[in-house]
Amino acid sequence: MNTVEVYNLTKVYESAYKKSRVTALRDFNLQVAEGTVFGLLGPNGAGKTTLIKVLLGIVFPTLGKAKMLGQDIGNYEIKKHIGYLPENHKFPPYMTGEDVLKYIAKLTGTPTEGLDQKIEQLLHLVKMNKWRKTKVKKYSKGMMQRLGLAQALINDPKLIFLDEPTDGVDPIGRKEIRDILQVLKNEGRTIFINSHLLSEVELVSDRVAILNKGMLVREGTVEELTTKKQIYSISIAEEKEEEWLKRALAGFAFGSFKLNNFEARLENDAELNRLIDELRRNELTIKAVVPVKTTLEDMFISLINESDKKESNG
Amino acid sequence: MGNIWEITRQTVREAFARKIFIMFASISTLILLLFIVAFISVGAENFGGSIHFESRGMNGTSMVDGIVDGLKIFIVAPLFGLGLFLSIFSVSSFIPAMLEKGNIDVLLSKPIARYQIIFGKFFGGTAVVFVNILYLIGGIWLLLGIKFDVWDPSFLLSTLTITFAFAVLYALIILVGILSQSSILAMMLSYIIFIVLSPILNARDKIMMLSDSKILENILDALYYIIPKTSELGSMTTDIAVGGHIYDYQPIFTSAIFLILSLALSIIIFSKKDY
Repeated sequence: MNTVEVYNLTKVYESAYKKSRVTALRDFNLQVAEGTVFGLLGPNGAGKTTLIKVLLGIVFPTLGKAKMLGQDIGNYEIKKHIGYLPENHKFPPYMTGEDVLKYIAKLTGTPTEGLDQKIEQLLHLVKMNKWRKTKVKKYSKGMMQRLGLAQALINDPKLIFLDEPTDGVDPIGRKEIRDILQVLKNEGRTIFINSHLLSEVELVSDRVAILNKGMLVREGTVEELTTKKQIYSISIAEEKEEEWLKRALAGFAFGSFKLNNFEARLENDAELNRLIDELRRNELTIKAVVPVKTTLEDMFISLINESDKKESNG
Repeated sequence: MGNIWEITRQTVREAFARKIFIMFASISTLILLLFIVAFISVGAENFGGSIHFESRGMNGTSMVDGIVDGLKIFIVAPLFGLGLFLSIFSVSSFIPAMLEKGNIDVLLSKPIARYQIIFGKFFGGTAVVFVNILYLIGGIWLLLGIKFDVWDPSFLLSTLTITFAFAVLYALIILVGILSQSSILAMMLSYIIFIVLSPILNARDKIMMLSDSKILENILDALYYIIPKTSELGSMTTDIAVGGHIYDYQPIFTSAIFLILSLALSIIIFSKKDY
């Protein structure tokens, strides 16, 4: 079952008197399966936050439709089962951390029975117990982020949206947040993360989507996205010259060469098998055939550049 | 209803946190203390000059009532002006503060309808002003009762008219706050209506004596019926305070329509706006 379903969603922001138009999302489609950690990546202004805001009814779609937990996003009651940590969120400065959680609990319709224990548990989870009676105006950015995470969880949400969850959090805090996300995932909750920190997303996400200028550029598992399609690193026991190898394996496209290692760009699996046959025919000992992987960051930059080029070419 | 109640509660809390409640309560307490001091130090008979209270006959009673009425007007007339002035100033930032980026995201992401937020803010701000005015009016009524043994409850009704006048202007503050996200603009518009437009339009008959223009007359008449009648509501408050009656309900009726329309428009715009 999909927890989030987005169909042909377009969002155009128009200034007063329609002097300027910005298309934040263009014919966007997306499905997020139940119980997954989904990472949405994109450069600044790609439309990541707009997508979350549309889903949560903070902004309204221009075209298209979307569902969360099987219900249309126009039904505000579904938000009883949704948690949200906005980017640069604010809470009333006169409230303490505990007050904020009580306030949000009331707004989300969380039962008052057992609420005190729940607040206790959440503050413990985000390591804010010590600051529960301190007014929010005295909190640091990292503390606000932790409290923001706690408020997003107060209603036991089935679906959690986190917009830049580790923003302003130190490396130890980031690790702790990742651990919390793992616990939530194990509990079967769906987590939707917006982030520009690729390494963070790579560490926690099951699936990743890349968004650029309001369009979905690529979507898949981290594994799928970081594997360079049909590029293999081949190691052989013998040390052979590049020229010899090129002659012996004529007809194949190659990348870099080292003494007993080279990269081959292949069209498909059949071509891989033919290359292996050819290596054996030349009495070369195959030690390893490994698909070449890239980092999520490299892949991200290359996809964004590609997408920008396509757009500028028309 | 639960959501409206929660937003109302938070608005009252916000008023406490911004020291609005304390400021109002302090001013009211100071006024009450001044009255207590005045009533203790000046004998009741001295308020009326040569009246002898020991032998209160019909005339004596009328004189006492006259003095008490004078004191009520002395309190209510400035309270209407100053109270509204301070109230507008105090609540004008409620909506712009709520609409600040970061605040509104948290609020709108919760299972709460946008109209509930507007109602919550409206009831919260009105409740703050009502409680404070009731404290001052109730306190004065109590002191007058103790001092002069006059327990006319009509004085307490002025709490309602002052709160109503505030509520009408507050609805406008909410509308302007949603449209512009500017507390200064909301405040300015309310002051213009309260201090300038309403008194001028109330005196439109006198203005029309200076001009024969039918167009001007129509414009002034139209504006008179559209714009809240805070000036007339002020006069009504004074009349009610001294036990008078309301003979013309039109200012209340048209101001109430203005209130309802302002709130309805606020809800419609707020419900369609992106944040």
